[in-house]
Amino acid sequence: MDRINVSRLSFRRKVSHKKDKHRHELSDNSSEDIPRIKYISQTEAQNIDQELFTEYAFSVDQLMELAGYSCAVAIAKCYPIEEMTKDNHAVLVCCGPGNNGGDGLVCARHLKMFGYKPTIFYPKRPSKPLFDALYQQCEGMDMPVLSFFPSEAHLITDSYNFVVDALFGFSFKAPVRPEFEPVMETLKKIEAPICSIDVPSGWDVEKGDPNGLQPELLISLTAPKQCARLFKGKHHYLGGRFVPRTLEQKYELNLPPYPGTDCVVELKQDTQEDGTA
Amino acid sequence: MELAGYSCAVAIAKCYPVEAMTKDNHAVLVCCGPGNNGGNGLVCARHLKMFGYKPTIFYPKRPSKPLFDALYQQCEGMDIPVLSFFPSEAHLITDSYNFVVDALFGINFKGPVRPEFEPVIETLKKVESPICSIDVPSGWDIEKGDANGLQPELLISLTAPKLCAHLFKGKHHYLGGRFVPRTLEQKYELNLPPYPGTDCVVELKDTQEDGKA
Repeated sequence: MDRINVSRLSFRRKVSHKKDKHRHELSDNSSEDIPRIKYISQTEAQNIDQELFTEYAFSVDQLMELAGYSCAVAIAKCYPIEEMTKDNHAVLVCCGPGNNGGDGLVCARHLKMFGYKPTIFYPKRPSKPLFDALYQQCEGMDMPVLSFFPSEAHLITDSYNFVVDALFGFSFKAPVRPEFEPVMETLKKIEAPICSIDVPSGWDVEKGDPNGLQPELLISLTAPKQCARLFKGKHHYLGGRFVPRTLEQKYELNLPPYPGTDCVVELKQDTQEDGTA
Repeated sequence: MELAGYSCAVAIAKCYPVEAMTKDNHAVLVCCGPGNNGGNGLVCARHLKMFGYKPTIFYPKRPSKPLFDALYQQCEGMDIPVLSFFPSEAHLITDSYNFVVDALFGINFKGPVRPEFEPVIETLKKVESPICSIDVPSGWDIEKGDANGLQPELLISLTAPKLCAHLFKGKHHYLGGRFVPRTLEQKYELNLPPYPGTDCVVELKDTQEDGKA
């Protein structure tokens, strides 16, 4: 006997042919009523994460693997390896002390598989098995790890095609810890593109930071955070294609359809400036 | 397991695009065995659901380990139905499902097939929908194959193809599990083909018949 729980069957939205718009299947006022993707608050981000791990039984490393992988894929779409001419596709991945840093380690590993040459900067390693394992995996892929952060921005600009910012994510609360301050200040001055994972590090997750990092690429994970409205870079992607339909509906995320089997989808820049969705 | 199962779903979607799956609104059956191959199947089913297919799971022997409990719960959370018993006749499967994912037995299999799985394998041999086998066609000797065994149409080898894949006579052979560190690949002289760009699968050609690579 099939165990389809009828009460959880969702109203299936038909995907329209327009690339990045949602339309209700039989809506009369389709022109006024297009549900836009939701930009979530810090609390919503934390709650959604918790529910994924509790109600939906995902493990942290499982989702971190999918998240980090989608970051690598989005990065490769925006910065194709053939165009990364500095030092044979060299890139720098800066990993912070939490889950955002873990995403960065996964991302670095997949970038290596794709043919980039990542170097990792990981000044504060949490003493947890998950992060030890991720670090060891990077070592097993022959990824160099910097002992100290380059003191001057031009050193980074000269050596790396781009920098992956995996320092702080949606759990961040200002101010930046003292040991990370110099890193942030240097990154603000580099001229190589910055690819931020989930949240530009140091930004208030909801209000952003006009004086903060200005990444060129932002990969929002699961759903974009409110501060992403203030993102002024070139490319905004959504990754982390693992949100069950019922969870998406609960939070009214209105996620756009991912193309085919892609694990990322581009979010177009019609959400800037005045902050309206 | 997550990367392996995901690459299986991607390979399947390449060979059987969702728009072409006309039976019962993209319905597919995923048969999961009692070990890691079954776990790969659960992951695969979840990603197939994300891609727009409508998987149903058959999972008769669930190992009592947290990993598999979690994978199963994740499928439940995605509203993937689970069959209580295997359809008794092959045509019931052929009529209802666009293809069947065979995630019963993998590299740890040693014959003979356990009694509770015998009828499943026998029925699958008669199904006319394509069978997509994860890593090893279930029931095959890992090295020598089985001329009388399941004949899948798609084989997704994980990490590296197994010896029995030389005897695979189906239409599509893909390699998935793009996570092998270079030093490990060199140690075992796997000579893996390059994966295109950021793809997590690569099609393998010319591995049949006389056993030559």
